[in-house]
Amino acid sequence: MIALALATALMLGDYAPQKMAEEMLPPEQEARVQRLGEQFRCPICQGLSIAASSSPAARAELNTVRALVREGKTDQEIRDYFVSRYGEWALLSPKAEGVNWLVWLGPAFLLIGGGFTIARTLRGPKASTAAAKAPAAPPPAEEDEYLRRVREEADR
Amino acid sequence: MKSWLSIAALAAVTLMVVFYRAFQKDPGSLREVPFLLKGKPAPAFAVTDLQTGAPVTSEQLRGQPYVLNFWASWCGPCQVEHAAVEWGARTYGDRVRFFGVVYEDTQENAKRDLTRRAVSFPQLWDPKSRMAVDLATTGVPETYFIDASGIIMDKYVGPIDREALAYLVGRIAPPRAEARP
Repeated sequence: MIALALATALMLGDYAPQKMAEEMLPPEQEARVQRLGEQFRCPICQGLSIAASSSPAARAELNTVRALVREGKTDQEIRDYFVSRYGEWALLSPKAEGVNWLVWLGPAFLLIGGGFTIARTLRGPKASTAAAKAPAAPPPAEEDEYLRRVREEADR
Repeated sequence: MKSWLSIAALAAVTLMVVFYRAFQKDPGSLREVPFLLKGKPAPAFAVTDLQTGAPVTSEQLRGQPYVLNFWASWCGPCQVEHAAVEWGARTYGDRVRFFGVVYEDTQENAKRDLTRRAVSFPQLWDPKSRMAVDLATTGVPETYFIDASGIIMDKYVGPIDREALAYLVGRIAPPRAEARP
């Protein structure tokens, strides 16, 4: 009964975001809209671009990208449009400048650091094994009497 | 063996810290989205009145403070705040103009929604949400407070209540000094 009520409500369209009729651009321009849309963060999703999300907010922003492309704006002008409103938060990939370099270079440093640590860890046991396999030092001339007798017993 | 355990322990602690920080955040919170237009001139807009089809532009509103309330018929929290916004329009309508702006909706659904409640202020139709995105909305409901010089003084994200509305209206249109007896 509950399912039937929910299905009816959805069919009436009162509780579902409405899909507005969108005027698509020619294929080449539409591809550019989608490519640009993949660069901007959907404001109400987690880690999704406005091209990947079907939320009303993402749809509104993608429509605006479409309008800006239709107006003849360049990619940089469109990026500036969103950054001037939502800050760099709007970009899924932060600009490679200033403190942002940490974001770009951080993973590389972590990778190098991790590789170095792993290499050192792997080399460690080898060194100790090699040390263990090294021939024993010749017995000193004045060896302990007890040890000398033990060695003799063992050699027999 | 001991060093492997240390590395594993370090990785586990790092993951725990990352997850702890991540789960502390509210994924639905819109307040984290920066809003850079506060204190700046409102972008120009040209839309139409939902009921009459008459054009409404930012140029026409120059010189008077106004409130823009973005809403949609499919938005539950918008239903919650309607009473507060209507109260604001009736209480402060003499010094501030109130407008509803339909967001990502169909005219049919928006008009039907308006028949179910008393609305004393004009509703604007923004067909492709250009006005909404120009104003840097992040969804609905959101309410903008624009002063007489066209500066965006504040934006309220989420369902607004009477107290917040009264305070923010006061920021764009201070109460007139009453003549003392």
